[in-house]
Amino acid sequence: MQDTVTTSALLDPSHSSVSTQDKSSTGGHTSSTGPQLSKPSVTPVPAKSRNPHPGANFRRMRRIIAEDPEWSLAIVPLLTELCIQHIIRNFHKNPILKQMLPEHQQRVLNHLPPDLPLAVTANLIDSENYWLRCCMHRWPVCHVAHHGGSWKRMFFERYLENLLKHFIPGTTDPAVILDLLPLCRNYVRRVHVDQFLPPVQLPAQLRPGDQSDSGSEGEMEEPTVDHYQLGDLVAGLSHLEELDLVYDVKDCGMNFEWNLFLFTYRDCHSLAAAIKACHTLKIFKLTRSKVDDDKARIIIRSLLDHPVLEELDLSQNLIGDRGARGAAKLLSHSRLRVLNLANNQVRAPGAQSLAHALAHNTNLISLNLRLNCIEDEGGQALAHALQTNKCLTTLHLGGNELSEPTATLLSQVLAINTTLTSINLSCNHIGLDGGKQLLEGMSDNKTLLEFDLRLSDVAQESEYLIGQALYANREAARQRALNPSHFMSTITTNGPENSVG
Amino acid sequence: MNPPGSLEALDPNVDEHLSTQILAPSVHSDNSQERIQARRLRIAARLEARRREALGEYLDGKKESEEDQSKSYKQKEESRLKLAKLLLCGTELVTNIQVAIDIREIHRRVEEEEIKRQRIEKLENEVKTSQDKFDEITSKWEEGKQKRIPQELWEMLNTQQLHCAGLLEDKNKLISELQQELKTKDDQYVKDLKKQSDDICLLLERMEEQVKNVMKTFREELYNIEKAFEVERQELLASNKKKWEQALQAHNAKELEYLINRMKKVEDYEKQLNKQRIWDCEEYNMIKIKLEQDVQILEQQLQQRKAIYQLNQEKLEYNLQVLKKRDEESTVIKSQQKRKINRLHDILNNLRSKYAKQIKQFQEENQSLTSDYKRLVMQFKELQKAMRHFAVIDDEKFREIWLMNEEEAKDLIARAFDVDRIIHTHHLGLPWAAPDFWFLNNVGPISRQPQKSATQIVEEMLMRTEEEEAEEATSEPESYLDLPKQISEKTTKRILMLLCDESGFLIESKLLSLLLPLEQNECYLLRLDAIFSALGIESEDDLYKLVNFFLKYRAHRLSSSLQIKPCSQVSMEKVSMEKASMEETSMGSELELAEQTEMEGEKEESLVEGKKEEEEKTPPSPWVIHPNDVLKILEAFVMGLKKPRDSWAPLRVQKNVRDNSKDSEYWQALTTVIPSSKQNLWDALYTALEKYHLVLTQRAKLLLENSSLEQQNTELQALLQQYLNSKINSELQVPPTQVLRVPTK
Repeated sequence: MQDTVTTSALLDPSHSSVSTQDKSSTGGHTSSTGPQLSKPSVTPVPAKSRNPHPGANFRRMRRIIAEDPEWSLAIVPLLTELCIQHIIRNFHKNPILKQMLPEHQQRVLNHLPPDLPLAVTANLIDSENYWLRCCMHRWPVCHVAHHGGSWKRMFFERYLENLLKHFIPGTTDPAVILDLLPLCRNYVRRVHVDQFLPPVQLPAQLRPGDQSDSGSEGEMEEPTVDHYQLGDLVAGLSHLEELDLVYDVKDCGMNFEWNLFLFTYRDCHSLAAAIKACHTLKIFKLTRSKVDDDKARIIIRSLLDHPVLEELDLSQNLIGDRGARGAAKLLSHSRLRVLNLANNQVRAPGAQSLAHALAHNTNLISLNLRLNCIEDEGGQALAHALQTNKCLTTLHLGGNELSEPTATLLSQVLAINTTLTSINLSCNHIGLDGGKQLLEGMSDNKTLLEFDLRLSDVAQESEYLIGQALYANREAARQRALNPSHFMSTITTNGPENSVG
Repeated sequence: MNPPGSLEALDPNVDEHLSTQILAPSVHSDNSQERIQARRLRIAARLEARRREALGEYLDGKKESEEDQSKSYKQKEESRLKLAKLLLCGTELVTNIQVAIDIREIHRRVEEEEIKRQRIEKLENEVKTSQDKFDEITSKWEEGKQKRIPQELWEMLNTQQLHCAGLLEDKNKLISELQQELKTKDDQYVKDLKKQSDDICLLLERMEEQVKNVMKTFREELYNIEKAFEVERQELLASNKKKWEQALQAHNAKELEYLINRMKKVEDYEKQLNKQRIWDCEEYNMIKIKLEQDVQILEQQLQQRKAIYQLNQEKLEYNLQVLKKRDEESTVIKSQQKRKINRLHDILNNLRSKYAKQIKQFQEENQSLTSDYKRLVMQFKELQKAMRHFAVIDDEKFREIWLMNEEEAKDLIARAFDVDRIIHTHHLGLPWAAPDFWFLNNVGPISRQPQKSATQIVEEMLMRTEEEEAEEATSEPESYLDLPKQISEKTTKRILMLLCDESGFLIESKLLSLLLPLEQNECYLLRLDAIFSALGIESEDDLYKLVNFFLKYRAHRLSSSLQIKPCSQVSMEKVSMEKASMEETSMGSELELAEQTEMEGEKEESLVEGKKEEEEKTPPSPWVIHPNDVLKILEAFVMGLKKPRDSWAPLRVQKNVRDNSKDSEYWQALTTVIPSSKQNLWDALYTALEKYHLVLTQRAKLLLENSSLEQQNTELQALLQQYLNSKINSELQVPPTQVLRVPTK
């Protein structure tokens, strides 16, 4: 048996009967053995005459066939099968894929081990199936929808994310990431990192060395806690669209130290330079990173006049009025569509500057100022801005210490504005009268679909009535979406009914 | 939900539907009106449906929709509403936690701020009080330095120590307070953490619950919807089945009706068939009888025809015989003709060969002749050349000899005239006038006057006509010069003016622009010059030819208009050219005629011409050359002019033959310079002078004698004198006796 296998493997490449072999193998190597029995037994005969060396083996083999009644050629794997197995086994040394027929490619891909070196596979294999296996192999939970439905992209994004998460400046070799760069540059579109490790500070050995390096500076901690500099990486990724960063340390446990969570000025400057250089960036998120006014201004300045940026998320930071003013400037100098400043320290002046920018803006769709403290002054300014704005659809003003004056202005806005679809005023002190005024405003509005007034001291009755009006608006919007041809008629016919309801 | 009830409820509806369907106009009806009606109804129904849909079914339209829309639709709508509510409530429930935490956070922040503010205030107060205390202590140190008594100093130090301790205690108290606060805050933090984890757990729980709930309700609703669809399907099936059965029944009834109808019809048809058969039979019999009669008549006729046929056959047989014989004859003739044709063919061939041979021969001959001709032409040309050469030389010699002779003659004549003059003046005492003969001024051989160029003539003519116009009526015949042979100058001028006006295209545009500022005459002159150069008119003759041609043309037209000669212009021109040479006299008359008529046009009538006019009644003036004809005439003229130019060489030869008719006359004249009367005079004079000479010679002799005598006389006188004057005389004088002694000496 072993002999036959080796001889056939040796013989067949010598003469060109590969094609016939291929056909027979693809035809049915699992099904009927009848035709296969005859075929291989015939083909070696002419081969024998050509090279007399293995001829002796053949004679022996034939004798074996004659004597062993149970021997069957069907057991011998086909040459293509053997080749494929060989290719799979030695794929990391000699990757052959594109030269093969499609069905063979498929089979090789199905059997490749998922832990092959990326240098071999990254640019060679496009099969989603293979990368699915790779992903499943590495991570138990995979949400491919978060990565644009592409397993390959997901693999590289998460792989890169992992590397960045566990990168320790000073100890980890930066080449680890830079080597990966040429392999993943075409596939990574989104970088989401929720922790950046600071350099390891071994109390005794490292610190003197650092100090000797940096001289005798007053702030000795500063240079040592810088995180990984994203500049090279961001410049290398040619399709990067989303950058979601959190300068944070997870699971520090009892090793807690305040300076683990420092987002230093050098970090800030390098990050700003990196995003300024990246012209494909559409979404930039920097949350939970203790970004104060100055850092926010540095970052925003680098984003001024960015060609494609659409979404900016600086929530859960320490941004005050100056940072808000910077954001307002950015609104008028970019194509920003979504701005999120939730849970910051923006007060009335910041809100006023934002409102000023918003009044004539035609790009912004969504503004989130949740958990700030803009108070009535800021709220009134924003309401005034909304009277002229024709673009904003979503506004979140939850938890901003707003009260009745803002509500009265907003009710006027509701009567005029036809673009707003969602307003959130939860956790404010609107009061009973404010609620009534909002209800009045709501009665004239036909476009608002969501209006959150929870825990804002509004009377239950008015809240319920507002809910009814919203319901009517939603139904109208659904009708419009269902049959856009009757758009106008539905509006006109629904008009009186809504007021009745 | 409850299928049997609904089915029952639906049943009358179905019935109603069916009845309306039967009653209502159908689209497939045979009546077109009905079809239109049906379509209209359908469109109206659709519009209604659309309107209802547009109105929306969620509000007061619900009642309508309940009636109109199917059960499944209702179910779907219900489910959708329910699910939307569920989702909304669920998300609200879940987000409630977030909102609650938000508000808690806000409250915390407010409180925190308040506490912070209080703490800062407290700290500031503390700092103030402690500073005061510290100041007190430091001031006391100064006091202490002044103390000299140790006890007092000790006491003071003690109090200082006490104060310091109090200060420290205050500070420590504050620190402990703050630490306490910190601790409580830590506790608070831990609590908060716990609470938040609880909240998160709750959130997760709610989310899970929500998911479960939603899944469950979605399943339920799906089930409900499916059930509704099933029920609806059942209902539909049932109703359709019923409809089907009713339709089938109706169909059966109709089938039966049709069958009965058919049976009736079959019976009817059978009756009709029977009637038809009887009638047919009768008709058949009648026709049969009639046809039999016809057959008998036809048989008789057939017999007759047969007889005629027999007769004809015999006749034809005879004819056949005759024709056969003729045929034989014709074959004989044919063979003869064939033979003849063959013979003629032979002859033809012979002739052809002969003809070819002759052609060849003639060609050769022709070639040789042409070569001969060429050679002859060459020779002729050479000969001509030689002749021309000799002619020139002859001319030269002739001229030289002529000149020599003439000179000699002139000399002689001059001498004769001199003599004549001397005779006249000296001898006759008459005034002498030198005779003025034309030949005296002639030098060289007599030839025609050198030809003036056309333009010169024109110029002259123009000048002259101008003068004439100035002088008007006094038109002297001498002033006409010799040139306008039979053609008046005015006519010529008129023609030329016409030419000038009509053929402006021959003049270059540049020249025209240059001509503008010039005087009219000059202008005409220059124009004519240009036109002549264009037409190729060079010499005087040409010009006259042109003028003549115009006149001739006019005359010809006149004649043709009278006689209607159908001839082309070119031929006419030729004819006229020929005529010009032959009938100069008639031409002259014609031209005169033209001139007269022209004069008539000018209304300037000289007496003589007026008479002529009276003599010859001229036709009314169709002769006036129409300006449009000028171009045609010019064309014809140029065509005609070319021909004489072509035959240049013979013309030249002719020209060289000078007429020596006048030579003899000339020489004769030269000889008779002195007229015979004068010769007679001279002879008489001669004889008279001879006589006079004789007398004179006698007188001379006498004079001579006289003179010699005188001389002798004088000599004698002198001698006498001498003798008288001599001394001897004196010596002898005294006495006469002495005188007598002298002669003795």
